[in-house]
Amino acid sequence: MSKANRWRRSAMVAATSAAVLLLASACAGTASSTATGGAGSSSGSPAPSSTAPLVIGASVSLTGDFADSGKAVKAGYELWADEVNKKGGILGRQVQMKIVDDTSSPTQVVTNYQNLITQDKVDLVFGPFSSLLTIPASQVAKRYGYAFLEPAGGGPKVFAQKLDNLFFVQPAPVVKSGDVFADWVLSLPAADQPKTAAYAELDDPFSAPIAENIRARFEAAGIKTVYQQVYPAETRDLSPIMTKVAAANPDVLVSGTQSEDAYSQVKSLVQLKFSPKFMYMSNGANSPVEFPSKVGAANVNGIMSAADWYPGSPAPTSPAFVAAYTAKYGGSETDIDPSSAEAFSAGQLLEAVAAKTGKIDNATIISSLHQGSWPTLVGNLSWDAIGQPTGSFSLIQWINQKLVPVYPADVSKATPVYPKPNWGG
Amino acid sequence: MTGSVHALIQGVVLGILTGGVYALMASGQTLIFGIMKVVNLAQGALVILAAYLSYTLFTSFGLDPLLTIPLTTVIMFGLGVVIQLVFLRPLKREDSAQLSLLVTFAVALLLEGFMSVVWKTTYRSTNTDYANSSWTFWGIQFTVVRVVAFVLSLVALGLLFLLLNRTKFGRAVRATVQNPMSAELLGVESKRVAALGFGLGAATAAAAGSVYGLLYPFNSGSHYDLISELLSIVVLGGLGSVGGAVIAALIVSTSSAVVATVFSPTWSSFTFFVILILVLLVRPQGLFGTVERGAL
Amino acid sequence: MSIRSLVRGGVFVAALMALPLLGFEHWVLNLMIFTLMYAAMSSAWNLVGGFAGYPSLGHAAFFGLGAYFVGLWFQHHAVVTGYEPFLVLPIAGLIAAVVGFPIAWIAMRTRADVFAIVTITLLFVAQTLAFNLDSLTGGAQGLAMPTPPFELARFEWPFYYAMLWILLASMGITYLSMRSKVGLSLDAIRADEDKALGVGVHVQGVKVLSFSISVALVAMAGGVWAYYETFTYPQFAFDPIITIGMVLMCFLGGRGTLWGPVIGAFILVPGQQYLAYRLGGSQFYLIAYAGVFLLIMLLMPRGILPTIADRVRRRRAIAASSEGPPPADASPPTAGPGSNVPVPSGGAA
Repeated sequence: MSKANRWRRSAMVAATSAAVLLLASACAGTASSTATGGAGSSSGSPAPSSTAPLVIGASVSLTGDFADSGKAVKAGYELWADEVNKKGGILGRQVQMKIVDDTSSPTQVVTNYQNLITQDKVDLVFGPFSSLLTIPASQVAKRYGYAFLEPAGGGPKVFAQKLDNLFFVQPAPVVKSGDVFADWVLSLPAADQPKTAAYAELDDPFSAPIAENIRARFEAAGIKTVYQQVYPAETRDLSPIMTKVAAANPDVLVSGTQSEDAYSQVKSLVQLKFSPKFMYMSNGANSPVEFPSKVGAANVNGIMSAADWYPGSPAPTSPAFVAAYTAKYGGSETDIDPSSAEAFSAGQLLEAVAAKTGKIDNATIISSLHQGSWPTLVGNLSWDAIGQPTGSFSLIQWINQKLVPVYPADVSKATPVYPKPNWGG
Repeated sequence: MTGSVHALIQGVVLGILTGGVYALMASGQTLIFGIMKVVNLAQGALVILAAYLSYTLFTSFGLDPLLTIPLTTVIMFGLGVVIQLVFLRPLKREDSAQLSLLVTFAVALLLEGFMSVVWKTTYRSTNTDYANSSWTFWGIQFTVVRVVAFVLSLVALGLLFLLLNRTKFGRAVRATVQNPMSAELLGVESKRVAALGFGLGAATAAAAGSVYGLLYPFNSGSHYDLISELLSIVVLGGLGSVGGAVIAALIVSTSSAVVATVFSPTWSSFTFFVILILVLLVRPQGLFGTVERGAL
Repeated sequence: MSIRSLVRGGVFVAALMALPLLGFEHWVLNLMIFTLMYAAMSSAWNLVGGFAGYPSLGHAAFFGLGAYFVGLWFQHHAVVTGYEPFLVLPIAGLIAAVVGFPIAWIAMRTRADVFAIVTITLLFVAQTLAFNLDSLTGGAQGLAMPTPPFELARFEWPFYYAMLWILLASMGITYLSMRSKVGLSLDAIRADEDKALGVGVHVQGVKVLSFSISVALVAMAGGVWAYYETFTYPQFAFDPIITIGMVLMCFLGGRGTLWGPVIGAFILVPGQQYLAYRLGGSQFYLIAYAGVFLLIMLLMPRGILPTIADRVRRRRAIAASSEGPPPADASPPTAGPGSNVPVPSGGAA
């Protein structure tokens, strides 16, 4: 072995051990400053003092695939913190949000919750955006005994974990969000009910299952399935599928959609000049600004979707939320993403727990939320043992180019319009 | 029975119309490879950038995306030249093939980061008033946008063909593609050709991008989907062969549209890969590629 | 030399072995798990991409294969002690090697750049399969792993040591192959494949063998990762970013070297994860990341180790020549195993 090579080797080892040492010393610093950390460090010990800020950590996607929704969640968390602090905080403690970016990566989300809990020792945590990231994150929270209020992870596999510390802050699990449409259709007089149905479903954890749930209800009620198709997320072009839908000529089209595929479906149907009598889209059609701008305002009428919060929502705290939101971020009520309202609701739950019990720690939050019903922006929430909310979404419909709640009766502001007007009508 | 025949014909029509757009995108990609032996992983990002440019010109100034193509073409050409000069030229010859893969990937990330800052990550699409209209002949549907896109791609490809075959620059490019050494001996300035050639490859992204924005919703991350399809097409056609890329684009997009309409859309992207693997089994150099082995 | 390098290696191994015992907090071990994972995978990638010069962009296909194998195995087998998933890792590695063998056989008949494209295609094929074979894989709904039952205080230990073992295996194989005929053959292939073939190197066999070993190691890392994450989805397990991570770390540290990928991983993973945690709020994260990436490629195209080594050698040569005749061993590295200065390949000329 040459001298040069020998040198090279020692350089490598030196550099590597330097890196290890650097890392180690950086860690040792924090390790010595805070004794043990880990389970119950925040919930077990009494609150340090009544004036210490209440630090709440959350990891959301600020870059990557989920970035836009992630930012909406962040806006909701921060808005809530501002509002609660104006009222003097929680039990006299100012709320401090510590929001970090998970770059839409499952590896980073685990690192972030590990860091939030064991390095920065935040008092409480909120969830990230998307079921995909919620599952690994909720496992970390569970390990350290943290309550996990999450506004954006309601896929079936989240609940299949059977975690008792998890609470999905929406009125119903995602798969059941379309049930309100089935409820309404099946409540119609038999003569008015659709006889045939087609289903076009995006293959992701939050879309296809919604349509499948409706299909099960419809088939049980004797509505015949004339076409059913699942399509992968990278399908940019839905005209082949819509061509087949049109050929099958169903009375009702149930679309399990996200956003851009919903726009693409509508555009294709308009091109095909096929307008079914009933049309339900799980997502995409419930966005007040994007949807009409993408498919043309003249084409929205009669399309139905489900929502928990929407402009003009009857929730008592909604007007104040809208006022605060527009004051902080500008824009108008229709610009507010429901994800922001859901994130805001997670904060409202903490306030409510503190007001009811006079305590704000993880054990109290977990045990309190498992009982009773809790009013929020997105409705009155209650959960079963594994964090599934037991309520229901509202059915909304585009009427005269406006999104209006139409069912169930307690939220309805207009009579549902059926059959759906033709395109452009 | 007639229903499935009908679906089949519809699938073929759809595939051919879409194939034109892919042919345009892939021709830029394969041209860059031909001239510089660089697999340009940033081509997809360039297409998306061009789509954003024409989207912005449309939404802010009301300019029709088809009319702004000359303008975006100039911009993309300039950007391509800059990318070549700043990031690719400094690479040492001996390693350039491997390194350029990574460098162009980094450029793609850079563009993606830039686009997600400027345009956020919501899906956009250029919604012209003709976006939803269609013609129907013999029960087969021809959407206006797709037909326009197809014609436009043909025009752009035609111009590219003229440029390569009827101009001095084109001759220099073709000479470089065939044999860089002898081209140099014949007085072709290979460095200049490389810069201009990269610019030309990027310029094809301009027309492709405006069409892409008309057809599909896109966001800053869309280039990942695009690049894997473009790569399959150029490898299938034979790296460096523009004609091969056009034919491969038509084969690939027709077969995946047919699979989507006749069988299931779930397997449509899979057809890309199956065709690619089958061809490589028989002809490792692609349909129209020349055998070139060993050192890069 | 071998004693000194043994000592160095020993210190490195001992330091990493002892790390969990030193009472670090959970977040440190968490960071180390991901660092070791990437160090192991980057080392494994180096066997094909660095030594043979075939830049695979599809290694994440095997990462996902390992992840899904572990997940699927425990759909049908119970986890009692929590250590069972680690025990099936060798099977995951074996399957990856068996799957990788014919793929490498086909893909490596082509040139290195076509190889890169075919392998990235393979990655998307694997992802599509994971999505579409939903009765087997759970499709887009994802696949649940067994929940690790380890006690909180030492929760990260098993994952940490599993990743460490894979890293050591990876480095061990690299070290052995550098010192054997295989290493020489790989060097020759990278420099000029046709000449290597001409002088009797069993080119195809050597390439395919190194690919199989490489992907087996990556699959094992994927299995550990999935178990640690407790859940996996096709788009996460078969993620091009995972491949890019391996490649980048290898290039950063110095490809074709034993320690290069390890150094690359020890710099990039903590840097990346920590920066995203601390500064992720800024939208310029991706731009900054790409910028650093480009700077490295342009300023140190061969990686940190070879660049530093070069500089030092040059300085020594100058010093030596001013003192007397240059030492024989400063000559170009036709010399021994571990010669990591790429031989300029003017082969096409």
